[in-house]
Amino acid sequence: MDLKEKLTASFLAFENDVDTDTFIHNIRNEAIKIFEEKGFPTKKEEAWKYTSLNSVLKDDYSVFPKQENTIEYNDVKKYFIHDIDTYKVVFIDGKYSSHLSQTTHDGIDVCLMSSALTKPKYRIIVENYFNKAATKDSLTSLNTAFSCEGVYIHIPKNKLVQKPIQILYFSTGNEAATMLQPRNLIVVDENSHVQIIERHQSLTSNAVLTNSVTEIFTNKRAIVDYYKIQNDNQNATLIDNTFIKQRQESVASVHTFAFGGKLVRNNLNFYQTGERIESNLKGITIIGDKQHVDHNTLVHHIEPNCESHQDYKGIFGENSTGVFNGKIVVEKEAQKTNAFQANNNILISDKATINTKPQLEIFADDVKCSHGCTIGQLDESAMFYMRSRGIPEKEAKALLMYAFSNNVLSSVKIPEIKLRITKIIAHKLGVNIGFDL
Amino acid sequence: MLKIENLHASVEDKAILRGINLEVKAGEVHAIMGPNGSGKSTLASVIAGKEEYEVTEGSIFLENEDIDELAAEERAHKGIFLSFQYPVEIPGVSVTNFMKTAINETRKSKGLEDMPAKDMLKLIREKSELLEIDRKFLSRSLNEGFSGGEKKRNEIFQMAMLEPKLAILDETDSGLDIDALRIVANGVNKLKSKDNAVIVITHYQRLLDYIVPDFVHVLYNGRIVKSGGKELAHELEEKGYDWIKEEVNA
Amino acid sequence: MNKYTEDDLREELKTKEYEYGFYTDIESDTFPIGLNEDIVRAISLKKEEPEWMTEWRLEAFRAWEKMEEPEWANVHYAKPDFQAISYYSAPNSKPKYNSLDEVDPELLATFAKLGISIDEQKKLSNVAMDVVVDSVSVATTFKKTLGEKGIIFMSISEAIREHPELVKKYIGTIVPQKDNFYAALNSAVFSDGSFCYIPKGVRCPMELSTYFRINQAGTGQFERTLVIADEGSYVSYLEGCTAPSRDENQLHAAVVELIALDDAEIKYSTVQNWYPGNAEGKGGVFNFVTKRGLCEKNAKISWTQVETGSAVTWKYPSCVLKGDNSVGEFYSIAVTNNHQQADTGTKMIHLGKNTKSTIISKGISAGKSQNSYRGLVKISPNADNARNFSQCDSLLMGNECGAHTFPYIEAKNKTAKIEHEATTSKIGEDQIFYCNQRGIDTEKAIALIVNGFSKEVLNKLPMEFAVEAQKLLEISLEGSVG
Repeated sequence: MDLKEKLTASFLAFENDVDTDTFIHNIRNEAIKIFEEKGFPTKKEEAWKYTSLNSVLKDDYSVFPKQENTIEYNDVKKYFIHDIDTYKVVFIDGKYSSHLSQTTHDGIDVCLMSSALTKPKYRIIVENYFNKAATKDSLTSLNTAFSCEGVYIHIPKNKLVQKPIQILYFSTGNEAATMLQPRNLIVVDENSHVQIIERHQSLTSNAVLTNSVTEIFTNKRAIVDYYKIQNDNQNATLIDNTFIKQRQESVASVHTFAFGGKLVRNNLNFYQTGERIESNLKGITIIGDKQHVDHNTLVHHIEPNCESHQDYKGIFGENSTGVFNGKIVVEKEAQKTNAFQANNNILISDKATINTKPQLEIFADDVKCSHGCTIGQLDESAMFYMRSRGIPEKEAKALLMYAFSNNVLSSVKIPEIKLRITKIIAHKLGVNIGFDL
Repeated sequence: MLKIENLHASVEDKAILRGINLEVKAGEVHAIMGPNGSGKSTLASVIAGKEEYEVTEGSIFLENEDIDELAAEERAHKGIFLSFQYPVEIPGVSVTNFMKTAINETRKSKGLEDMPAKDMLKLIREKSELLEIDRKFLSRSLNEGFSGGEKKRNEIFQMAMLEPKLAILDETDSGLDIDALRIVANGVNKLKSKDNAVIVITHYQRLLDYIVPDFVHVLYNGRIVKSGGKELAHELEEKGYDWIKEEVNA
Repeated sequence: MNKYTEDDLREELKTKEYEYGFYTDIESDTFPIGLNEDIVRAISLKKEEPEWMTEWRLEAFRAWEKMEEPEWANVHYAKPDFQAISYYSAPNSKPKYNSLDEVDPELLATFAKLGISIDEQKKLSNVAMDVVVDSVSVATTFKKTLGEKGIIFMSISEAIREHPELVKKYIGTIVPQKDNFYAALNSAVFSDGSFCYIPKGVRCPMELSTYFRINQAGTGQFERTLVIADEGSYVSYLEGCTAPSRDENQLHAAVVELIALDDAEIKYSTVQNWYPGNAEGKGGVFNFVTKRGLCEKNAKISWTQVETGSAVTWKYPSCVLKGDNSVGEFYSIAVTNNHQQADTGTKMIHLGKNTKSTIISKGISAGKSQNSYRGLVKISPNADNARNFSQCDSLLMGNECGAHTFPYIEAKNKTAKIEHEATTSKIGEDQIFYCNQRGIDTEKAIALIVNGFSKEVLNKLPMEFAVEAQKLLEISLEGSVG
């Protein structure tokens, strides 16, 4: 039985298992039908031209975790941003781990999707927002069909959330192969600010396939900073589907730090439904081995006077493959749009590949759109210069690569994240030097 | 400093301001709050002399001079500064070149020579430090590709350069995260003196935690319907604007 | 109140007359209208050309007869009747002068009106000039000074007679006779143009300059320019164009070929101000020009153009980067107003390794004009480490004009680095008000914006031309800019 059949077959059992009202029930039923019809995407689809899921789908994934596992904080501390005070929502093999988490209902709601979907007090928000930004493509539909757990965040009007919120999904590998489908809903109301950090982490070498969907709604003048840290091990595959629907004058920024796993696909979608919106999409990708990272972005400019800034840097070593597919749509009404997109890549091995494809669809006539894409190698003369000053080759390379990716880090608002990412970069590049020389 | 008497203004024959009375003395900070569409930004534009708006009744006095007939640039020369809610991008014109032109045009209107380059550079250095602005930023095209925060910081930088008598800050807090808000507010506070005045226009109370007003006015339907001290702002944040509307309509 | 709005600006633009629109009453020697092999032979004969040149022209003519006028450009106009044009018109004085004293005083007065008194130019700006009126070169200055360095700078007719080996070797190698419809036409009927050769290792001590003017009614101008920079040499070449106001359309179909041999550098600047037609779109020059340069190893060709004239412009100065490490540059300002149409841009063909190209194109459209940028960047499979940066900015004034960008990128080598930026913006009332609020009046504000928009290109012009170009921008856009 292939994975698609297995999933569709287990849907009924799943639906019987989770108690739910008809509202969610209908959405799930509709979603499974879409998935049944479309199946997993193949390379024949334009959006998946450079990324094949074949090698991922052949494992025999268990789709519901059978037993619960616990882990000690000290064993996984390193995966947290632990040197600052944060709210934490932590899951182990898809189940909520209360002892690792710190949720809150004090003025804001940082809690579980399972509660939000079932308890009456969340009903209005869930009905207004759940599945309202997510698209009906096959993988998102698959997640929708099985959505029952994840993070629910609601920040009411005029709140400055003082502590960042960390979302962590651990998989312990107590099955040979596990499939996880977390579902997150984040609603930020008028004039509120929040910072969120998300990470998916496998703790063993057993295969894990995560098909995650996150919906984020930023209402008028809200400011959301979202950080995705992806640094998983060789058998972990992540398909991240994030949908951000923005209202007037809101600012949403997503930083994606992609240091790989086996295969990572980031579908990041911004919808600007209001004037004077700012959307920021930043990314650093550093991978090697046979890793594959695919950034697929969409910014949909629907109304006038909005901005978007995209800046993705990639460094590809060994046999790795990078894909960047950035689409910007500017509707006819979206006059005075400013849309910037840059994708710069360095190949440090002859066997590494990068496929980059900017797509601009502009229907308005008073706009500024720029896109730039570069593929290059490290500057040999700069390398020689540093080596002639006594800096060994490896360190010189690392310094250049750090400098190359540095301007993406400059927009990171949480210093601890900047520090952490810097350390990961150093580790990735195999050097032990502080970069803030 | 500024005196507004029974000001009525309309755009395309639609009345927006319907009899504003306001007096701002030197050394004071006034906050103007109000629900969306109450006329806050219109008031700012009318004081600055935007031509789309027609003054149908009433007058605006700056230091006892009726400025009704003055063009926008003449009002600027007399010391009115508007920090725009949405600063405009001007490609190809650097921040420095723009400021140089603005300062020298203002000096010319007063019969003064152009400011010597050396003094100009010194002034720019001084004021950019105040707003924690990177020097590289000054050679970039005005507002082009600036983030929301950078645009607002640049507005206050220009205010610092031009040293106006009356500064009107129109929704200066929109698009600012908390760190940027602190820097901007700090800049405004340092520029405050007993000889100038500030009007802060905002929908939210947050900015007023940093730029503390002496008076708070509520604008509704083109009129100032309530005035009070800074505690009024807190009340509005808590209760929203509906109770004001009810009071007015009752 | 001092109201100077965008509408006023637009109004002023509409009423701005073409300031160079005078007609010089010089007797000319003009051929009957129409084109056939006999006319081609007659042109060749008139110019006392050798047999190979006559044959070369006929070959081009036969090719042209089979070709169709291209229609892919984003311009719309009534096609010229090629049989209603006279293909040769020369001022009816001696076609060659030994000194300026021999030049028809009326003609000198023409130059004075153009603001390019030859005398003055000669003394003040150290510019050697070749002047082509209608189709014939009438004055080449500074010949002696240049001669001492071995630099050949003369009309192409003279060059065909005096340096046939050079002309024969290079003419048509960069723009072949059959390259396109207008190039073929030009190859068949070109009556004059400039020729320039800079010997090995010589740095041309002054700017070389050609002025083109269409004077006679019912004529076309078909000049041909050939510039050869031998190994390690350098030359900066300027070209200016004007024509009188006339109700009918005049045709200008020129060909410019540049050859930069190893380590050579050619800087070619154009200020084009052919008559653009009147405010209703009547009359004006059809400017269909083929310009192309070839770079050998380490060579560099830089095209800079300020295009303010012509009713219809169709022009793509291009660089073939054949040699390793060669560099191509294209800097352009194209201004269109009233009913003008421009479809202009460049082609950068990267063939050699480590080749670099830069494209900066600024289009300003006002009135009811249409302004298009069309550019091709092509990286061939062997062009390792090729680099290109393109920037295309459009500035619109008013709601009736249009700006269009057609960038084509063909990369067949994965080490290529290509960047493209494009912007479209309007001078809007909000920008003007913003400037006003900071104490800057409206006229100054518009000057600030237009100059800011164009400065990256203006900076690339040689000093002598920058001033004139700035002046042209002012004339083309509004009285008070600057």
